[in-house]
Amino acid sequence: MNIDILHQPDSAIAHITMSAGEELVAEAGSMIAMSSYINASTALRQGKSGSILGGLKRMVAGESLFLSIFRSPTHGGEVFLAPKLMGDLLVYQMTPVGLVVQATSYLASEANVDVNIGFQGFSSFFSGESIFWLDIRGSGQVILTSFGAIYEISVDGEYIVDTGHIVAFEKSLSFNITKVGSSLIGAFLGGEGLACRFQGKGKLFCQTHNANAFGKVVGSQLPAK
Amino acid sequence: MITYKIEHSPAYASLQLNLNANETVLVESGAMAAMDSWIKMKSKMKGGVMKGIGRMVGGESLFMSEFTAEGRAGQLFLSPGVPGDIQHYYLDGNGLMLQSSGFVAASHTVEIDPSFQGLRGFFSGESLFLLRVTGKGDLWFSSYGAIIEIPVEGDYVVDTGYVVAFEDSLNYHVEMIGGLSFKNLRTGLLGGEGLVCRFRGKGKLWIQSRQMYNLLNFLDAFRPAKSSD
Repeated sequence: MNIDILHQPDSAIAHITMSAGEELVAEAGSMIAMSSYINASTALRQGKSGSILGGLKRMVAGESLFLSIFRSPTHGGEVFLAPKLMGDLLVYQMTPVGLVVQATSYLASEANVDVNIGFQGFSSFFSGESIFWLDIRGSGQVILTSFGAIYEISVDGEYIVDTGHIVAFEKSLSFNITKVGSSLIGAFLGGEGLACRFQGKGKLFCQTHNANAFGKVVGSQLPAK
Repeated sequence: MITYKIEHSPAYASLQLNLNANETVLVESGAMAAMDSWIKMKSKMKGGVMKGIGRMVGGESLFMSEFTAEGRAGQLFLSPGVPGDIQHYYLDGNGLMLQSSGFVAASHTVEIDPSFQGLRGFFSGESLFLLRVTGKGDLWFSSYGAIIEIPVEGDYVVDTGYVVAFEDSLNYHVEMIGGLSFKNLRTGLLGGEGLVCRFRGKGKLWIQSRQMYNLLNFLDAFRPAKSSD
């Protein structure tokens, strides 16, 4: 499978060329165009922990991750994928360590990558915020998306990131939730939300902009519904 | 041919046209950003260019202005209302189907007609109104997100919301593909029905890397709630 990312960072689009029999898993609705002979399905692909079914269950609670599966019967099948909002794409090669991805930052992955929904013990910290996490394992490539551009930080020791700016991080990093300022009230008044304090050694991917912050600024000026 | 330059592509593409003396160009009204002072604008439409009526179909208005470099060569900067990409296409007697909101500018020798046949099948919440552009001359069109050119030979499938333009040598029809339909999962106000346009034959197709509906649906969630009184 060959993945080309075009028009970075603002209008990024993934051009994927597949070999015969290869499968691509992608966020539902992200397909823009494709060779007509590609088979598309929403079939439930049960991973070890019933990954996709788990996703269905989560949807009831307001968290959803629907996946489409694209299969090319012949060599050279093409699929174009793009995220919903303006922003960048990044191709990450899975390692045995595993990756945690913010759910809205997941775009697509190769068939041997396991996408498990709901990284337990993490989402509970964000009551009120619609962030949830994907626990990604296996081998192959994953396409991540960001609001704004993506930048990589090689953490060795400690690092702090605002939760709204996290795209993904390697599971070799441990983390805890912290506040940015000295007091919790000050943190909220100052507009700085909760932050994640990472510890250990591993890669961390951040986005230059926070979609929620953008939504609040623009959306609050629209007529009430 | 009109000499031109597209700058700041694909996110903020702007079109610079260099008109010869007394040359006239058709421009989407409102797209003019800057120009030499001797370029004259006329919003009165040329006879056969638009039949007037079709222009307001479905709330999608397409008004055009004529810009003429009177007496000497002049420069004109054009910017589409929505930030995105711009593509040039030279018509040589053939035809091009263009999403109506994508029109930016054209030589005055080019004929532009709303193609009513093109509407069929696109009606289903996802309105895509197509203009049929024919004749000889330059055409510039725009998108939301980047424009990607796909040389179709055989068959190609595109989500209807991402079609920008295509050569009319391609046959097309709208359909629903089983594995791509998420009708019962619709969360947004607009689009998302999973309708695709299937193109057949040989010709060029242009798609855009983003769709405005997604931005609107995203922002809609942040609208304040109406107070009860």
